[in-house]
Amino acid sequence: MKKLACYFAILMFSVLIIATPSTNAQEKLTIAWAQWDPANYLDELSNDFTAETGIEVDLVQISWSNFQDSVFTAFVGKSDRYDIVIGDSQWLGRNSVGGHYVDLTDWINENIDVDAIYATAMEAFAEYPKGSGKYWALPAEVDANGFLYRTDLFEDADEQAKFKEKYGYELAPPKTYEELRDIAEFFTRPPNLYGIAPWYSKEYDGITMGFQQVMWSYGGSYGDPETYKVEGHINSDDVVAALEYYTSLRAFSPPDAPNYYWAETLDAFKAGKVAMAMDYFAFFPGVVDSNQNPNYYDKTGFFVSPAGPKGHAISIGGQGMSISAYSKNQDIAKRYLKWFMQKPVQEKWAQLGGFTPHEEVLQSEVFLNATPFNKAFAASFPYLRDFWAVPEYAELLEACQTGWNQVIIGSKSAKEALDDIARKHEAIFEDAGYYD
Amino acid sequence: MRTARFSRGFSDYQIKMAFIMPTMILLILMNIFPLLWSLYLSFHRYKASMPNRPAKFIGPQNYARLLTDPEIWGYFQTTAYFVVLAVITQFIIGFGLALLLNREFRYKGLVTTLILLPMMLSPVVVGLFWRFIFASDASGLVNYLLSPLFGGPIGWTTDPKIAMLAVVIVDTWMWSPFMMLISLAGLSAIPKYLYEAADVDRASQWFKFRWITLPLVSPLLLIALLFRTMDAFKMFDIVYVLTREGGPGIATETVSMNLYKLAFRNYNTGKACAMAYILLIIIVALSNIYVKHLNKVRGEA
Amino acid sequence: MAQIERSRFGHYVALAVIVVAVLIYLTPIYWIVATSLKSPADIIAQVPQFLFRVTLEHYQKLMPDAVPGLTYVFSAEALIGILACFLPVRNIGFARRFAFLWNGLLILTCLYALATTINYNFLMLSIYTIIVFLLISPQKSTEARRVRLSLVGASVLAIVAICTLFAHGGSKYFHQLLNSIIIGFGSTLLAVGFGTLSAYAFSRFEVAGKEDLLFFILSTRMLPPVVVVIPIYLMYSALGLRDTHLGLILLYTTFNVSFAVWLMKGFIDEIPKEYEDAALVDGYTRFQTFVKVVLPQSVTGIAATAVFCLITAWNEFAFALVLTEVGGRAVTAPPSITSAIGSSGVDWGKIAAATFVFLLPVAIFTFLMRGHLLRGVTFGAVKK
Repeated sequence: MKKLACYFAILMFSVLIIATPSTNAQEKLTIAWAQWDPANYLDELSNDFTAETGIEVDLVQISWSNFQDSVFTAFVGKSDRYDIVIGDSQWLGRNSVGGHYVDLTDWINENIDVDAIYATAMEAFAEYPKGSGKYWALPAEVDANGFLYRTDLFEDADEQAKFKEKYGYELAPPKTYEELRDIAEFFTRPPNLYGIAPWYSKEYDGITMGFQQVMWSYGGSYGDPETYKVEGHINSDDVVAALEYYTSLRAFSPPDAPNYYWAETLDAFKAGKVAMAMDYFAFFPGVVDSNQNPNYYDKTGFFVSPAGPKGHAISIGGQGMSISAYSKNQDIAKRYLKWFMQKPVQEKWAQLGGFTPHEEVLQSEVFLNATPFNKAFAASFPYLRDFWAVPEYAELLEACQTGWNQVIIGSKSAKEALDDIARKHEAIFEDAGYYD
Repeated sequence: MRTARFSRGFSDYQIKMAFIMPTMILLILMNIFPLLWSLYLSFHRYKASMPNRPAKFIGPQNYARLLTDPEIWGYFQTTAYFVVLAVITQFIIGFGLALLLNREFRYKGLVTTLILLPMMLSPVVVGLFWRFIFASDASGLVNYLLSPLFGGPIGWTTDPKIAMLAVVIVDTWMWSPFMMLISLAGLSAIPKYLYEAADVDRASQWFKFRWITLPLVSPLLLIALLFRTMDAFKMFDIVYVLTREGGPGIATETVSMNLYKLAFRNYNTGKACAMAYILLIIIVALSNIYVKHLNKVRGEA
Repeated sequence: MAQIERSRFGHYVALAVIVVAVLIYLTPIYWIVATSLKSPADIIAQVPQFLFRVTLEHYQKLMPDAVPGLTYVFSAEALIGILACFLPVRNIGFARRFAFLWNGLLILTCLYALATTINYNFLMLSIYTIIVFLLISPQKSTEARRVRLSLVGASVLAIVAICTLFAHGGSKYFHQLLNSIIIGFGSTLLAVGFGTLSAYAFSRFEVAGKEDLLFFILSTRMLPPVVVVIPIYLMYSALGLRDTHLGLILLYTTFNVSFAVWLMKGFIDEIPKEYEDAALVDGYTRFQTFVKVVLPQSVTGIAATAVFCLITAWNEFAFALVLTEVGGRAVTAPPSITSAIGSSGVDWGKIAAATFVFLLPVAIFTFLMRGHLLRGVTFGAVKK
């Protein structure tokens, strides 16, 4: 028995020694992205790059819930694990100021036809500080907040007549937030059907992504991008009105709505709980798939996020491609970026299901008709706007998430919460030295 | 035998050192750097996400700011509320179950293992699936089964007044089996003759419980409470997943939840380290009280 | 008479309450299992579906695209081995020859798998099988228990071999499961080993500042892991331990060793010193006494400690997430099973299936150790 234990111990250690990593000498490019369909498309697209250059591309798909933590710890540890990181637009400030991204300004100006790319996308995904002309990335997947609706409900003659009678206008996908609320109210028939599934969740950037576009469309803003003054912007009457509007949708949303972010609104829509749902366009391929959405895959329509009384703005999603400053393969990474931005490659990218930032490709008939939602996506493009992209974005975001969620669940009034957010945001900027 | 000759020369002292050292060396090696690193940074202004900005010494400012921040105090209150409520509930249910299980019946081993199953799941998985079970409408199992009792569905994870209760229920579901197991271990170790002697004296059930059972198992219960309290302070996964990062609002925002945001989302490393030390001091102090009390109880028994 | 009636009535009431409690504890687990067997539409249905059409699609997602033929050989071997354990042993010689033959077959299969896949796990597995083989080697005693043990051991190894085959066939899930097995059981072995040694020393010898040392050991559990993650990450990067099995094994050993010391010290405290004294008088050395007298009596405590250490290491999430690399060598299952995303939202069915499969090893291990659990966790706190 004892001898056996000895053998066992020796073997255990031999396993450990064998299990330690070996070095990998092969020429290989490692890309980090979140785990979702677009990453699968990019994986497929990258086969062409390998065929062309002989360089193997390893696309590491990290689940959304762990994406940020994994990538940032790798940066903190200066790990050379990832050569290219396809990161959120909000990360730009932190990772450029922190020295984790390679400054691509000169290289992009020399090698990339910037004019072919949508200016909005370039500003949101590549430039930091905004307006400085300094580039840290190239837009890869441009995404936007859009809406799903149930065509079987909207196109039902009986429903249309009743709606007209009650509200005085035709039932159709809403163009404004007021219409959206009318329709949501109309279809709210608890306990089995509700009007709308909005993003209310405190999870990461959930409610912020849902609400900020309402805020902008109501004439509000986060603050002055020049002076970083927040007081009077984020707690202005416009924003109060917007937040009160957004909270009023709670009455027409399922009981679980305060927990809703992209996964939950999709599930609610697929279960037939709601007539309309908010979500990122990148998740829509699954909605029209008969396996993923067996009940409503052929009864789903799409519309652009509505306009508000004082404008029209839509939350941007999606990611840009940056090169890690700790990568040992920066030249190969640049080669990949250059290859990716070529028009034929972008065409194929769009064909596979990627949302290209390439203006010409995006407006081509082929792209617009490729899926039932591409038209709505292309129409959303001019209105895209983003959260703060400063290095302190996470703290700013946390204040918004908590404050806005508190209003939704009724713990605070809109004004109280917004004053609170304004105070916290100013403290964060003050602390980081923006007012010096 | 070879081993015998080999170890003949070992004195008790050598054996003692050889037996204790691996543990101590491992613990010291793995803990010394993190401990010193966090202690050092807790007195600095530093963001791990900005390695190109050197840490700036600011004295005890991080601590001062944390301790004067009313929000942080709120998180501490939430935590204390959770710890007290969860540990007491687990204790009552676990100990109660153990009293029931402390008898002979068929499939006892199987039943005990089945009750232990919740403990064997990953906390994140537990949080995820309880989301379904606690859904605020009829799609949630709890509301589906119990809404006639409550006169309508309850917003388990959406009502700020109830959300903490949901978290406590999930934590209890997961960890009362631990309490049950340790209580049961204590109960089954009590020699039977003590009860037989009490029966001869025609002692009441309550008397036996109060004067035989309780004193004999209380040291063990204290240890179980100690481990649960320590872990409850650090509980993070359930509020992270089930109530979406401490929601609704700040209803379930515990210190460890907030600490995660400080350390990982915001990379406010210096402040996070200070917060960790405050938490560490509280847990150490509490454990010390437990251990002192434990030694006293052991001495009496 | 009335007394007996009442107590019997009480007994049945207690049993009824136990049944209800078990049902309550199991309902969420039933829900996980049911989710893993439901179609996507049933999972997100508006009303909980108790009756549903069973589908195995979510389990198929965990498997590699093509199931290698060897899987069936290993499955057959595992199945036969497990079934054979339950047979009564009438002729010990025959039982031993059967186990002998059957183990040999498993070694051959492993070697064949090694030759065809060049996956070194199979080399390790054949070596482990040889060890199990030694358990029933002719010069050793041939008691039935030992034969059974060898059958169980080899069946477990055959199941691990199946996981390796699946991982080799491209299943990410089984790759992670295999890592969890190596890291979980490896760290449990180390934690229990270190813990038992230290506990013995603390229990039997005068140690300067014993109470303080014990408290120090306990206090290493107290620092919130969230803060320790970053320094450990930096340390591991510098040492090259990141994304290695060894790194995670050492880390989980550190987590668990404090618990192991406390639990084992309580247990060893209860073992009467007289046995050891007698052995020492008989001319045994201290080390021999420990191995021959103390260890056999500590089996129960060791088993209970192992269960707790395994559960903790098995489910650890935060460090596994940060210290391993997605798609890397040492990545374990917990971070990825909880976040299966399909093209349209969260793939609940896959998460449930992965969770259920992941629960099985630790649940079976606990079930096998159930006899030791109760007597093993007394922390020495109950005075006899």
